[in-house]
Amino acid sequence: MAALRSVSLRVGRICRCSNRITVSRRNLSEQTSSDETDKEEGTERSTHFGFESINESEKTGKVHEVFSNVASKYDIMNDAMSLGVHRLWKDRFMQVLDPLPGTRLLDVAGGTGDIAFRFVNWIKQKEQQRRKTSGAEFRLNPLETDESGSDTGLPSAEDYLYSEQRGDLSDTEEKKDSKVIICDINQSMLEVGKERAKKLGLEDDLVWVTGNAEELPFPDNSVDAYTIAFGIRNVTHIEKALCEAYRVLTPGGRFLCLEFSQVSNPLISSVYDLYSFQVIPVLGEVIASDWKSYQYLVESIRRFPNQEDFAEMIREAGFRMVTYDNLTSGVAAIHSGFKI
Amino acid sequence: MAAHSRIFLPFRFAIFTSQNIRLRPRLILLKAEHYSRISHQEGVGASPHAEEWTPPLYQEHVPTSLFQKALLTVGSAAVAITDPYRHDMIAVLGETTGYYALMRIRDQMKADPVGQLILSERPRINTRTVDLEELRNLPEGTFGREYVNWLDRNDVTPDSRAPVKFIDDEELAYVIQRYREIHDLFHTLLGMPTNMLGECTVKMFEAVQTGLPMCAMGAVFGPLRLSSRQRWKLRNYYIPWAVRAGYSAKCLMNVYYEKRFHEPLEELKADLKIPPPPQVPKSTSSNYSRLYKR
Repeated sequence: MAALRSVSLRVGRICRCSNRITVSRRNLSEQTSSDETDKEEGTERSTHFGFESINESEKTGKVHEVFSNVASKYDIMNDAMSLGVHRLWKDRFMQVLDPLPGTRLLDVAGGTGDIAFRFVNWIKQKEQQRRKTSGAEFRLNPLETDESGSDTGLPSAEDYLYSEQRGDLSDTEEKKDSKVIICDINQSMLEVGKERAKKLGLEDDLVWVTGNAEELPFPDNSVDAYTIAFGIRNVTHIEKALCEAYRVLTPGGRFLCLEFSQVSNPLISSVYDLYSFQVIPVLGEVIASDWKSYQYLVESIRRFPNQEDFAEMIREAGFRMVTYDNLTSGVAAIHSGFKI
Repeated sequence: MAAHSRIFLPFRFAIFTSQNIRLRPRLILLKAEHYSRISHQEGVGASPHAEEWTPPLYQEHVPTSLFQKALLTVGSAAVAITDPYRHDMIAVLGETTGYYALMRIRDQMKADPVGQLILSERPRINTRTVDLEELRNLPEGTFGREYVNWLDRNDVTPDSRAPVKFIDDEELAYVIQRYREIHDLFHTLLGMPTNMLGECTVKMFEAVQTGLPMCAMGAVFGPLRLSSRQRWKLRNYYIPWAVRAGYSAKCLMNVYYEKRFHEPLEELKADLKIPPPPQVPKSTSSNYSRLYKR
């Protein structure tokens, strides 16, 4: 192991998720001690909680506490802190995802449901467009549409591929094939999301599940798209969350992550730092009576890896065609990867 | 009692009467390095503001820069006016604006033997330190019994006081905490309920006694939420009485209340020179217009 560690630059590593050899651009010798050696030593690793150092075992609990405290005012605070820009980011996120009807989406750390609501509305809009352009004639009743198909009685290729998924294919049922599951570790956030869904009238289209991003309660190869918006920086072991994402995606599935990232432009960066550290905790105190949670928020943003490093982590989990898009000069970034 | 046509409100400017104005760190804007230094206890390179930095001085202390204090003042004042149930915002406003007034109060406490005792022993008033059951067993008319009756009548508890966060001096943090905790005792001594009318009256009394800007602001802007009839009562009866009481009473921060619960309330009020509440004529619809014109 020591010999391997001294080799730098391009080394083939067996990706722990996909069992595929990936070429890692990271310098192996720079890596901090790996999981295996620590398990042998039996020592408790420490990790960051904002700018604090705490034990890894405590981090999940502390993050849980933060989100229980902020859940009731979460959406108001998002609007106040970002001056409404987070809505534009999430709209852009959905444009990048551009899901087709029939997509099964898993929205992890989806808490109050912003991404899921946008997904449902997007699919509805897409279906309306499709209905307008194609006249809504196709596949109303599978028994009647065999004019172009074979007359031997055997199902056509299309029937074979889609019949299991689509059932009897009436118009109203088509949009039920597009599923979205919202998974979050914190029940309070899910409760807030359910209330919002009720107000918007979307409660029937959504499924709410409590679960840890590091150990998802879903089977392998079960979703077509996995999204995580502003959640992955709160996870204790980001690599585990990425591996879980790889596991639950079907081959060809897409991983899409929206997260705060590093601003490279020094002028914008200094304004952003000033705003983050001076104004945001004050807003937290005034609006939500909670200074410490919003201090944690801005500190955890600084602790998250930058765009390139995070893209590398996604590659190491086995995803391919990993790209990222900066939003607002790097304040946020959308990372995308495919399981192919 | 004749209504006054003009209210004379001398407002003491605490900053000019404080004995020693210690210059606190002129840290306008904190940087990210400062925050990391609190948590990591390590230097993150040489920061130009290193010598002005104050780490957290007590539990719950949140070090803030001048800019943040200004933002907090504006924000908490706005929220306190619009949502009077946000008591924590009034507390924050008191902390961000009260530094010099608190120094003056501390000087007054240091000049008095009982005040010095309070500063050294640092007693707290909450359900853990004050035995409410014992107070309930006291005879009627005693200070402790009246206090518990008042708590029950108004459905409040001494535990609902927010901890101090934004005062950058450990002793002054205790002074303002003490002020917050004896606020309910002021209500009992003055005989005022916790509705907006009573709160404005007590705030005016405290503004005169302590010189805290938050009390003055509360007394001036609080009545904006009241009806005109209540404002009439305030202007003509309660406020003048509160001001008179504030000036005539001894410095109430220098009283060790925990040791005086057994005393009869009226005697205590006489000792502290607090006059009895004003007699406000009942403004029924028949005499309202007559009284209002006076």
